[in-house]
Amino acid sequence: MKLTRRELAAVVSATAVVSATAVAAAQTEPRAANPDELQTARNRLTANGELLAQQEVPMATEPAFQFKA
Amino acid sequence: MAVIGNDVFFAGIAELNERLRSREFTAEELARAFVRRLAQLGPSYNALALALEREAIRKAKDVDKDLKIERLRGPLQGIPYGVKDLLSYKGHPTTWGAKPYAGQVFDYNATAIDKLDAVGAVLTGKLAMVELAGGGGYRLASASLTGPGLNPWDRTRWAGGSSSGSAAAVAAGLVAFAIGSETSGSIVTPASYCGVTALRPTYGLVSRHGAMALSWTLDKLGPFARSAEDCGRILQAIAGGDGKDPGSAGKSFYYAPQYERPVKGLKVGYAAVDFAERAEEPARPAFQTALAALKETGVTLVETKLPQFPYGPIVATILAAEQGSIFEPLIASGKVNDLADAAQIAGLKASLEVPAKDYLKAMRLRRIIQEDITKLFTQVDVLVAPGRPGPATKLDQPLDRGGFQPASGTPPGLQGLVQAGNLAGLPALVVPCGFAGDLPVALQIVGLPFSENLLLALGREFQARTDWHKKRPPEV
Repeated sequence: MKLTRRELAAVVSATAVVSATAVAAAQTEPRAANPDELQTARNRLTANGELLAQQEVPMATEPAFQFKA
Repeated sequence: MAVIGNDVFFAGIAELNERLRSREFTAEELARAFVRRLAQLGPSYNALALALEREAIRKAKDVDKDLKIERLRGPLQGIPYGVKDLLSYKGHPTTWGAKPYAGQVFDYNATAIDKLDAVGAVLTGKLAMVELAGGGGYRLASASLTGPGLNPWDRTRWAGGSSSGSAAAVAAGLVAFAIGSETSGSIVTPASYCGVTALRPTYGLVSRHGAMALSWTLDKLGPFARSAEDCGRILQAIAGGDGKDPGSAGKSFYYAPQYERPVKGLKVGYAAVDFAERAEEPARPAFQTALAALKETGVTLVETKLPQFPYGPIVATILAAEQGSIFEPLIASGKVNDLADAAQIAGLKASLEVPAKDYLKAMRLRRIIQEDITKLFTQVDVLVAPGRPGPATKLDQPLDRGGFQPASGTPPGLQGLVQAGNLAGLPALVVPCGFAGDLPVALQIVGLPFSENLLLALGREFQARTDWHKKRPPEV
């Protein structure tokens, strides 16, 4: 990426502002997903999949990838 | 030097444009006033990601030169606005509201920003958002690089997500309008909670080039503004085909509600239960009054219901599969652990494990949903329901516990309309419709793909008879 000196200066000053905000907002330590949280998320996806499996879909139905009027 | 009064910060686009053209104030004076206000008050709502004072003033000076020689570029010329910080703005940080991307800089503009620049709108700042637009599923309002989005109507309440800053900044008069995004609810929810008018366009109508991808098949960009009229003007500027967005519908949009069929006689599908038992009790009187105001426009209310599908699990499966692929590098690097919300971290990690069969089943069901909803629209012209069942939630309320639950056995009404509308790529207009206590509530008006002018025409009629969209938060 090529930046002019003016753009670079803007980035540096702006990054400093964002970084200060980030530090303030993230004074709580970063939280890695604990095993219980991860299992809960997995269980939710599994339950969704089981629910979808109960839905009948005609064999000829193709996935929706286009949206038309 | 013109004095910019407080009323200017809450004026609509047409009024601001008229006052600029009549030289009541210059674009530079207007930009300076708005950008100062955004920088001063934005942090008090955690609504500001980045103020762009120097860039705004430079652009405004260009606008003044154009106005001086009568080079007119339309109603948005000289109008200050903000964008959700998921849109790239060349040479400046684009954080996506997330610590792992705090230093991210792109060398190009989002198409929406370029289009607004071309019509002379003045970008004054980037606005805060829920981290990664909520990808992974967050538990708390604090899931953001800038802290929880605070509601201008009551700062102990959430502004809604994920376009928190866009909605709060418009509500507090920090920008004349803002651009936000919706994958499944991120425009409808914050607009409803903050009492501003907003439009979720048809999928593909507005280019997403330069916007963070959360779900390629669900993401949309749309405006937050003071009225349906303003949303129409903004949509006209940002809509249009774009070869840089593979999801682009290749269609333009011309705001022309006068050429729509008359609102009188429109069939409006609704479910009475949505405005009663399915609404939170404090919001019910407002919703009933809003229904009565809607009837006064001459429409015919028709009791209806959505086709029955597990909309929530279908959206969740599609979203999980697509976001898992998009954010795989973040997850694999371990930097995902730097996000603020533990539930979101877990949700993103788990999203790598969605079976292909589940994603494809969801996408096949989506086709059936589209077909069934198209059939529903042979019986009604639009659908109307509350934007949210009640007002903004408290800041510490867990968001992944389901929220308000009506009594068991309550009919479903149009429950799932937000998810269904997003799955089918439908446009939705959000209009403020009253108050629950001191907090705003809103209606969502949903139509067929590319029926934005019809939605805007109905919204305009509704707003001609009501003044809820003109109310201001008490402290601003």
